[in-house]
Amino acid sequence: MESPLHHFEVHTIIPIHIGGLDLSINNAVVAMWVGLAVIGSMFLLPTRKGLSLVPGKLQSVLEIAVEFIRNLVYEFIGEEEGRKYVPFIASLFLFILACNLIGLLPGSYTITSQLVVTGVFATGIFILTLVIGFSKHGMHFLGILVPPGIPKVLIPIMIPIEIISMLARPISLAVRLFANMTAGHTVLAVLFGLAMTGPLWLGWLPFGFTVVINGLEIAIAFIQAYIFTTLTCVYIGDVIKLH
Amino acid sequence: MSKNSGFRQGMQVAFRLGTELTVATSIGGLLGYALDNFFGTKPWGLVVGIVLGSAAGCLAVYRVAMTLTLEEDDTNNDLE
Repeated sequence: MESPLHHFEVHTIIPIHIGGLDLSINNAVVAMWVGLAVIGSMFLLPTRKGLSLVPGKLQSVLEIAVEFIRNLVYEFIGEEEGRKYVPFIASLFLFILACNLIGLLPGSYTITSQLVVTGVFATGIFILTLVIGFSKHGMHFLGILVPPGIPKVLIPIMIPIEIISMLARPISLAVRLFANMTAGHTVLAVLFGLAMTGPLWLGWLPFGFTVVINGLEIAIAFIQAYIFTTLTCVYIGDVIKLH
Repeated sequence: MSKNSGFRQGMQVAFRLGTELTVATSIGGLLGYALDNFFGTKPWGLVVGIVLGSAAGCLAVYRVAMTLTLEEDDTNNDLE
C-alpha cells in the first residue's frame, strides 16, 4: 500500500543542473505553472476583445473577486494608502487560491503543502513590511518595538517580547497555510487508504468520509487563501499606521 | 454580505489565535537555545526564551481578542 505522504513527494521530470544548482523541472514547478496559466487565462480571455461595459459571465465573476479583494485591502490598510497594494494582494490571493484548488484534483500536486513555498511567500511579505516601515517612518519605525503607554521600567522586557512577536508573524503565516494544506491532504490519503484496504462491507464508511472531507477541503482552500491575504493586509496596515 | 463577513472574520480569528500562541512560544525557545549555544550559558537562555516567547504569544492573542471585543462593543452600542 502507498504511504499517505506519497503525494507530497517531489519527482524530477526534466533534470537541469547549472553550476551545482539543481534547477530541475519537477511536478511542483509544473503545478505552479498550471496555477499561473489558469489565473492568467482567466483574466486574459474576457479582456482579449477589450472590457465590455455589460460584463459577461467570466468577467462578472472576476469583477466580484477583484472588488472583494479591494474592499479587504481598503478595510485593513485604508483607502488612501491601500490603493497601490491592491494588485500585489490580489495576485497573492488568486495565486494561493488557484494552487490550493489545483491540489485537490486527483494526481496533481499541492505546492502550498510545501513549507518552502509558503515560507518564501511569508519571508517576502516580512521583508516588504520592513521596507515599507523604514521607508515611511525612517528610524521612528523602531518605535513599533515599544508599545505606547507602558511604564519605563518594563521597556527592557517589552523589547525582546516585541521582537519575538514580530518574528513570529511570518512564521505563523507560513506554518498556518502549510499545516492546513498538509493535514487535510494527509487525512484524505489515510481515509482513502483505509477504504481501499478494508473489506467492502466496511470500506464504504471511510470512502464516504473522503467525499465529505473533500468538500471541507474546498472550503479550507478558500479560507486559507483568505486568511493569508487578510493577515498580509493587517501586517502592512500595522506597519503603515505604526500603533 | 455582512452576515457572511462575520463568518469569515470569525474563521480568520479562530485560525489565527491557534497558531499565534504556539509559534511565538517556539520562536522564543529557539532563540534562547541559539543564544545558549552561542554564549555557552546552557539552560538559562532556553528558560528565559520560553518565558518571553509565551509572553509574546499571550500578548499577540490578547491584542487580537481586544480588537474583536471593541468591534462587538461598537455593534452593541449601535443596537441600543
